[in-house]
Amino acid sequence: VIFDPVEELDVELTVNGRVHSRRVPVRRLLSDLLRDDLGLTGTHVGCEQGVCGACTVVLDGEAVRSCLMLAVQADGAELATVEGLAPAGPLSPLQQAFADHHALQCGFCTPGLLMTLSAADPADHPDDDAIRELLAGHLCRCTGYQNLVAAVRAAWGRE
Amino acid sequence: VTLVGAAVSRLEDDRLVRGAGHFVADVRLDGMVEVAFVRSRVPHARVRSVDTVAARALEGVLAVVTAADLAGVAPFPDWLDYARPVAAPLLCEHVRYVGAPIAAVVAADRYLAEDAAELVEVGYDELPAVATIAAALEPGAPRLFPDWPDNRVADHQAFDPEVEEALRAAPTVVRGTYRSGRHSAVPVETRGAVAEHRDGRLTVWSTTQSPHIERTTLALVLGVPEETIRVVAPDVGGGFGVKSHVYPEHALVPWLALRLGRPVRWIEDRGEHMTATCHARDQVHELEAAVDGDGRITALRSRIVCDVGSGELFFPGVAPSFVAGAMCTGPYRIDKAESSVTCVVTNKTPSGAYRGFGLPEAVFALERLVDRAARAAGVSPVDARRRMLLEAGELPYTTPSGARIDSGSHREAFELVVARCEEALAAARANDPAVRVGVGYANVVEGVAPTYYRATGRWKADDACTLRLDPDGRVVASAGVSGSGQGVETMVATLAAEALGLSLEAVAVELGDTDACPYGLGGWGSRSTVVAGGAILEAAAVLRAKVLAAAGRLLEAAPEDLVLAGGVHVAGAERRRVTLAEIADAEPGLEAGAVYDPPGVDHELDEDGRMNASATYVNGAHGAVVAVDVETGAVRILDYAVAHDCGTVLNPALVAGQIHGGVAQGIGGALYEELPYGSDGQPRVRTLADYLAPTATEIPHVAFEQLETPGPELPLGAKGTGEAGAIGPAAAIANAVSDALADLGVEITETPITPAAVRRLIREARAAL
Repeated sequence: VIFDPVEELDVELTVNGRVHSRRVPVRRLLSDLLRDDLGLTGTHVGCEQGVCGACTVVLDGEAVRSCLMLAVQADGAELATVEGLAPAGPLSPLQQAFADHHALQCGFCTPGLLMTLSAADPADHPDDDAIRELLAGHLCRCTGYQNLVAAVRAAWGRE
Repeated sequence: VTLVGAAVSRLEDDRLVRGAGHFVADVRLDGMVEVAFVRSRVPHARVRSVDTVAARALEGVLAVVTAADLAGVAPFPDWLDYARPVAAPLLCEHVRYVGAPIAAVVAADRYLAEDAAELVEVGYDELPAVATIAAALEPGAPRLFPDWPDNRVADHQAFDPEVEEALRAAPTVVRGTYRSGRHSAVPVETRGAVAEHRDGRLTVWSTTQSPHIERTTLALVLGVPEETIRVVAPDVGGGFGVKSHVYPEHALVPWLALRLGRPVRWIEDRGEHMTATCHARDQVHELEAAVDGDGRITALRSRIVCDVGSGELFFPGVAPSFVAGAMCTGPYRIDKAESSVTCVVTNKTPSGAYRGFGLPEAVFALERLVDRAARAAGVSPVDARRRMLLEAGELPYTTPSGARIDSGSHREAFELVVARCEEALAAARANDPAVRVGVGYANVVEGVAPTYYRATGRWKADDACTLRLDPDGRVVASAGVSGSGQGVETMVATLAAEALGLSLEAVAVELGDTDACPYGLGGWGSRSTVVAGGAILEAAAVLRAKVLAAAGRLLEAAPEDLVLAGGVHVAGAERRRVTLAEIADAEPGLEAGAVYDPPGVDHELDEDGRMNASATYVNGAHGAVVAVDVETGAVRILDYAVAHDCGTVLNPALVAGQIHGGVAQGIGGALYEELPYGSDGQPRVRTLADYLAPTATEIPHVAFEQLETPGPELPLGAKGTGEAGAIGPAAAIANAVSDALADLGVEITETPITPAAVRRLIREARAAL
């Protein structure tokens, strides 16, 4: 089926445990659906090209770039965004480790990093080099990555 | 309370890790419409025609505006008396770089606005493009500004007969030409502005480091009274200097909101960012030094030429070159020096401020020359530096340009880094003798809290703070400085709490809102701690006296017998106490404001052409140990060490974080990041896929040593620390790579030091043998 890009389709998706139904143009990016239609502005957009990683969300258990997906492609999916990590409660261990280790400065890239890490299995990233490989899907211009590595180690009980 | 010196948790972090920060792109207003820009596809042309008919006809489009529609709008002012004035337009009729804004399309959403922007037909009368410094300076070169005699936007030629004589008489003279590549800050948050005109007031949410400067500038450009404008810089996702300028889009968005009577939003996309947000560096330093038998430079001649792009930037991008020239002698005892500066315009994106502001370029050039001078004299580069570095007993030391280096630990910092790196070098050699390794050093001195002209053209260095006691007993600190990730909110709260004997939780901070905060110059130039700190202390002393006087009336005690600690109690009788809330209830409206003007800052040159442009000077040493693969040309950093002295440390975690991040950006500029142009004036890098910002696998662990030499003339002794990390890496790494390749006759003279560049240099050196 070939759609006109401005043609609209219905999508239904679950975000942080809540079901949302929206009618969206088929060209609408998932990142725009999350930010503008659902008001979940914690997901940030830095390049719209899949390079910077700021827009990363977790879709059916996998970290994905929400700027590289159309909203309609997420129809039926289960998503997690940064807002779901610690809704109204104390910070998650990962969030707390970021704060404790000064692993964020401006905080713009932080939500994407948190989502990539929340979907990662520590066993797949056994040492600092592997943690750096995992972080390398994200650009951070503030921290120089050093305290990010320290925060991940702490959150994963490797201190 | 002893918050100063403790690694207190940042107030910013809770909201930011929850995704609950509030950035400009997060602003949502009823009826908000969006802007897309039509930008020049050619580097140099007169815009003959802009056909907007098809764009206007598209459903959902509210307006398409071009330069012809901007009657009553003034171009950006230009107050510099040492450069030719450039009146940067909001929309261009004469485009001077690819990416220059030509038309703005407003539509119901950004998708529709971009659809319409694609329908706008621009007719160009193309002009020959000037793509390099050499092409710009050629006699008869096409001129960017037809009423100028050439393409020099600033030209200051120095001649010092003492330097001339020293060069003539020296046993050894060394020369070198060093080019720092064109790159930029590339914050992960692009620029953006949202504007709303409601009830006679214009509110502009802007990704700016200087909200008050932006407000004053908008009033001038839009011709509306300044008191009707409110500029809000909410959370800003990294600035690093590029967001200290006031850009055309940030004036055009409020103008559109005024004209359309609707809230208007523009969020820069990354493609726009790479050519519409200022570039930086791109300086060529030609140095000539007199060298004595011990490898010491005794006199230095510096000639700087900078490619400032089209120059259409407010404030203008010529200033970093003059800072580079003024600081050309670094932290070394070089008593004779002269610097000439030429800034040329080319058909490229305007260049301007970026972390280090001319100093990464100056340090790269000087430190490469120091290595060359040492080798020419048969002295080790480490020993040559030891002989030239300013010793603590020599301070304050005034450089030939008039910079008054008040304090520091130059030698101590250097020795710390040398000890670490020499050990790392030996270990690397022992580990694998087949790997080609090298070590390099750089010493950094940086003026912080400098003079700057307000949007009105008056040169200033001061900033302001207001402290008020709210009815709930909390103290609200409002400051004129502004944050973009450094932790300014935490810094302001820490100092206010400390000065008033309160806990951090008892202080609230207001920043980045011109309605809430006293007039200030903003957050840039490593100035916030120095200037806000001074203002907070002065205001706190006044508020403390007022609070104690009020408490004295409640407690029927003399103010001098009272202690301010959380609440106020009578000394020796802790139960005779009142809370701050009770004081605020009894005497509402207690507040105090102060403006702090750092001492010793010159705002203009003296009759000898010298000035001290900064309040104080931070120092540090950088050392790099690298491995170079001669087959691939790849450079790998094996060890990186920094010893850094920013005076009294308010929060060690935040200082270390500034150095880590600065070093990462410095490494980016040294090895990876570049904004190249073709000889046709077309940018070759337009995306983050092509712009090689380093990731966690390129940036090494940085070994960091903190030194603490308080600034003697500052109320806290605390200096600024935002930029220092970015200043040393290019020099240290270039020296290390040159050391690793010394036997091949390769010397690094340009950044970025890409694998292709290394292979070419090796090839050329072999051919020359």
